[in-house]
Amino acid sequence: MDDYVITVLSNIAMISFIALSAYLLLITGEISFGQQAYFGLSAYAAGAATTMFALPIWAGILIGACVAGFVAMAVGALTLRLSGLYFSISTLAFAEMVRLILLIVQVQVEVDGEMVGPDGANGFHDIRWMFERNISLTEFMLFIYGLLALVLIALLLVERSRLGSVFRMLGSDDLLTEMQGLNTVRYRILAAGMAGAVAGVGGALYAHFTTYVEPQFFNVMLGVHALAYGLIGGLGTAFGPLIGVAIDVGFLEAVRFIQGYRMIVFGGLVAVLLIFMPRGILDEERVHRLKTLFSRWSHARAQGR
Amino acid sequence: MLELRGLSKHFGGVKAVDELDITVDEGEIFGLIGPNGSGKSTTINLICGVYEETAGTVRFREELMNGKQPHQRLRAGIARTFQNIRLFPNLTVWQNLWVARNSPQDLAAQGFLSRWFGATRRTRREIAELLEFADLEHKGDELASNLAFGEQRRLEFARAAAARPKLLLLDEPAAGMNRQEIHDLSGRIRRMRDSGVTILLVEHVMELVMGVAERIAVLNFGQKIASGTPGDVQRNRAVQEAYLGTSESDSPPVDTGD
Ligand SMILES: Nc1ncnc2c1ncn2[C@@H]1O[C@H](COP(=O)(O)OP(=O)(O)OP(=O)(O)O)[C@@H](O)[C@H]1O
Ligand SMILES: [Mg+2]
Repeated sequence: MDDYVITVLSNIAMISFIALSAYLLLITGEISFGQQAYFGLSAYAAGAATTMFALPIWAGILIGACVAGFVAMAVGALTLRLSGLYFSISTLAFAEMVRLILLIVQVQVEVDGEMVGPDGANGFHDIRWMFERNISLTEFMLFIYGLLALVLIALLLVERSRLGSVFRMLGSDDLLTEMQGLNTVRYRILAAGMAGAVAGVGGALYAHFTTYVEPQFFNVMLGVHALAYGLIGGLGTAFGPLIGVAIDVGFLEAVRFIQGYRMIVFGGLVAVLLIFMPRGILDEERVHRLKTLFSRWSHARAQGR
Repeated sequence: MLELRGLSKHFGGVKAVDELDITVDEGEIFGLIGPNGSGKSTTINLICGVYEETAGTVRFREELMNGKQPHQRLRAGIARTFQNIRLFPNLTVWQNLWVARNSPQDLAAQGFLSRWFGATRRTRREIAELLEFADLEHKGDELASNLAFGEQRRLEFARAAAARPKLLLLDEPAAGMNRQEIHDLSGRIRRMRDSGVTILLVEHVMELVMGVAERIAVLNFGQKIASGTPGDVQRNRAVQEAYLGTSESDSPPVDTGD
């Protein structure tokens, strides 16, 4: 495979993390324009872990995800009282704040005669864990997909569990959820933390795949796209946002004649879909129908034996 | 069991509930009636913590409920249904019941698997019993949004039962039901009571309240204007005037049909 294809495929996977992150909040009924902040925070934290502190990459990813998760929980707790548009704007404001802070953070240390660490507006360069170990792009791509599969399986398990139902309850009727005896505050903060951590895994991988990160990458467009992926792909299953990413980063990027018009095509696609399928291609209703079909089919097969 | 003292709720200038005193005894079916807008739903919302009271107290089993969150009141044993059906439309019927099982008793008995994955036999059996109670045996895998109106009402009732309440607040459970359905509903209400649940029934359908309630209080403009046995209430002058003095759509208590 040539490097271009590997880069596109890896991008699909890395962007999928932030799409899953936004999706997790969407099913709880919250529209966040700020998940890129957690992607970015974790990219910096994980980069710092492997370069400045010479930790292994798994530790970097873990640290990045934890930093992102805990910050997200704190922000979630602070914005609890906000809802709807006010909530969305506060997430956007927070993400911009993080980006602006990263633009001025300059903490460099000397490692093997070279200065490494976040360098303000110049970004954070030389996160070379992968190259120092002669790991090929292809290998790293497989690593990214492995982690994506793990996160996806975890989210699918969550969706099957009662926690998944509780998240959907929050999304459809907050008061009614409270009246089932559930502390909605606690579950909202939990959802925020999980969403932050998922975005964080993507950010940590991104830093090590590209070897440098700059605050400019985590701008609001990234967050808006992350939201759009869930809305296109559908809010009925965690596969939904992945379909959204595949359509945008995969299909639109790959089809040459769309180049240059990509944002227009993408914007139009989102608008049309939202009119005809307000909760995306794989919405709850369709996912339920597919599940019913599948269980009938497997039932019939079992009886046919 | 339930003691409301001087309970008031004002919305701006509207005194939706005004200095209300009501005591509901353990194990009884208590009816709460009154014309449209007389404050019945507001009373329910005050009891289960949706609204904060302007004045007065709500005591449940001697314990002061003022200031407690709805989820705390549910765990204390207060469950309810809504005048306008409220379900989780994106969850299946089974899931709607599954997520409602949050009584301290259930939480203590459930292990991690049972609580979060619904996997144990006991959880499944108890949900199957609830489905049967609500006549929804074959609907477990349907999305709640795909149920017919009557089925949705029964699911709401079963969901309240799933919380193992000590006090069940029913807000016009018979609205929109036909005779047969009302008959089934009164059977279900009695079965709940016989299993030890105290019931506060808000209802316009007199056939139902007069049939099942042992004591009744009548509200008008947020105030209690009469209380007593169904017979006392039907004979009460003030009650007859309150009903006749308002819109035609309210059935006066003397009318036992619908
Ligand atoms: N959230 C609210 N904000 C403002 N006014 C309210 C609110 N809820 C109720 N009210 C007013 O309080 C009064 C009592 O309303 P409530 O819903 O309790 O009546 P009700 O007895 O349940 O009537 P119905 O039989 O029509 O259900 C009405 O005048 C209503 O307009
Ligand atoms: Mg009402």
